[in-house]
Amino acid sequence: MTRLIRSELLKYRSTRMSWGMALAMFLTGAAFAGLIGALMLYGGFNIGEGAQIDVKDVVPELTLARLIYTAGIQMGYLLSLVIGVLCIGQEFRHKTAAATFLAEPRRPRVVLAKVAALVVIAVVNGVLHLLGGVLGGGILLALNDLPVFPDPPQLLRTLALALLVLAVWSLIGIGFGVLIPNQIAALFIAVAVVWIVEPLLGFGLTFLDGGDAFARFFPSQATTATLDVFTGLDGELAQAMGATGDQLVWWAAALVLLAYAAVMTAVGVLLTRRRDIA
Amino acid sequence: MTDGTDIRIRGLTKRYGDLLAVDSLSFDVHPGRITGFLGPNGAGKTTTLRMLLGLVRPTAGEGLIGGVRYEQLREPLRVVGAALEATSFHPGRSGRNHLRVLAATHGIPDSRVDELLHLVGIPAAADQRAGGYSMGMRQRLGLAAALLGDPDVLVLDEPSNGLDPEGIRWLRRFLRHLADRGKTILVSSHLLSEVEQTVDDVVIIANGHLVRQGTMDELHGEPWALVRTSEAARLAETLSGAGLRVERDGDGDGGLRVQTSDLVRVGDLALGAGVPVHELRYLRTDLERLYFQLTEAPENVNRNLDVPTTPEAAR
Repeated sequence: MTRLIRSELLKYRSTRMSWGMALAMFLTGAAFAGLIGALMLYGGFNIGEGAQIDVKDVVPELTLARLIYTAGIQMGYLLSLVIGVLCIGQEFRHKTAAATFLAEPRRPRVVLAKVAALVVIAVVNGVLHLLGGVLGGGILLALNDLPVFPDPPQLLRTLALALLVLAVWSLIGIGFGVLIPNQIAALFIAVAVVWIVEPLLGFGLTFLDGGDAFARFFPSQATTATLDVFTGLDGELAQAMGATGDQLVWWAAALVLLAYAAVMTAVGVLLTRRRDIA
Repeated sequence: MTDGTDIRIRGLTKRYGDLLAVDSLSFDVHPGRITGFLGPNGAGKTTTLRMLLGLVRPTAGEGLIGGVRYEQLREPLRVVGAALEATSFHPGRSGRNHLRVLAATHGIPDSRVDELLHLVGIPAAADQRAGGYSMGMRQRLGLAAALLGDPDVLVLDEPSNGLDPEGIRWLRRFLRHLADRGKTILVSSHLLSEVEQTVDDVVIIANGHLVRQGTMDELHGEPWALVRTSEAARLAETLSGAGLRVERDGDGDGGLRVQTSDLVRVGDLALGAGVPVHELRYLRTDLERLYFQLTEAPENVNRNLDVPTTPEAAR
């Protein structure tokens, strides 16, 4: 199994995509932290009659750092998802699946090796993404005389949860890649589902009675809940900052995400087992 | 036979909807010999090989390598080397890294990878992206991949496609060298003439079922010689008297077909009888014609084409 994982890691490293993806991860982390950070630090809330209060005056330092450093997480998990899709999709697109399964005909082991390799890849890329966030956002915080790394244990917890989120999304990508053997179609459908269909569905559900209780189990809402950025914040203020009403507890949300990853991995294992490789 | 690893195909069948791609096919491939697996395009060769290698699930039957199915092999690359399609490389990965990825699954060291790149003659291109490789280089890279684990069995699907004449000659010698070391080699081709000089045994299929199987010698049949003389009747009598089977050649200007491979004996008999000999040569079996007859008999007409093809139509 170790050999298979090593082979999968080498497979990922040996194309240009790995560099492009690492760069994209870092840059989106930095860019979104910079953008959102600027909006927060230099913008304010309207409190009526032309009066404004500065965000940095009302939001605790820790929450501010959490929000800014994970600002690019939606782009981050989208890219993670793309890595997962490509990890399977490329094998079909370039017909390398045959060589892969010739080297290890027990296909479930191949899929599990890909899962393990993807976790490593997602964490490495995730670290780059968060480094970008801390760099891009940290400069802004420093410029505003705010602590760059307030309450390290709490902030590190948030960053660790962000890594978990990124890893889980790459595994969800594997499922898409297996379900839709056409790589281009898989990419488009995965991105469309995650960015358009799923949020719209979640939004639509809020109009139904008890719908939002259901929608909080959706991957995007579970992701937000897992990051737990508003913890310890006054409820009303959190709402104003964009938190939705009844999120899952962070650990429950994390379990929901892990369940998605497990289901998609299982789909990958089951479908590849019987598929004819052309 | 020898203590190599054999291949046994037993009742292998694959049905895609209404199409019976491979129809209860059975044949053996022996160690130390090169076996040509022949058939027109669409006959089911590739499907058969993919079923043997565990890539395609058979509808019925099984292919065994050394007595076990491919999926049961624990380190398959050390038993079977397969080169299926010359295009199955990620265009952005270098040839060397392609081999390293496969080698890593079996703990095969990089030194072996470099050794093989040298052996197949593409060390200079090893670090270039495979997308820029010529067809011939892809074939060589595919062969290198097949040889990574120094396997006992080689399965090559159309390996000479895209090779230049020098490459084909090199491949021919190389396969012979491996067969002499006791390896089992199965080579598919849609042209008999392409492998005629390479293979020892042939398995010919058409429309998914077996039409002929045997050694190359059996396919050639009994050897015949042609002798031409101005006194055909007397020579025919003399040769028959010596116990040889003689037939009149069709063209009617003194040609005789003699069933023998011994030209010296025919010449000596003619000299003894005082008959002038104007021509004396081996008659080669027209294998290409035989192949077309076998694969394009009315019941074997390629079902993938609407119009039945004949050798004439193909010209």
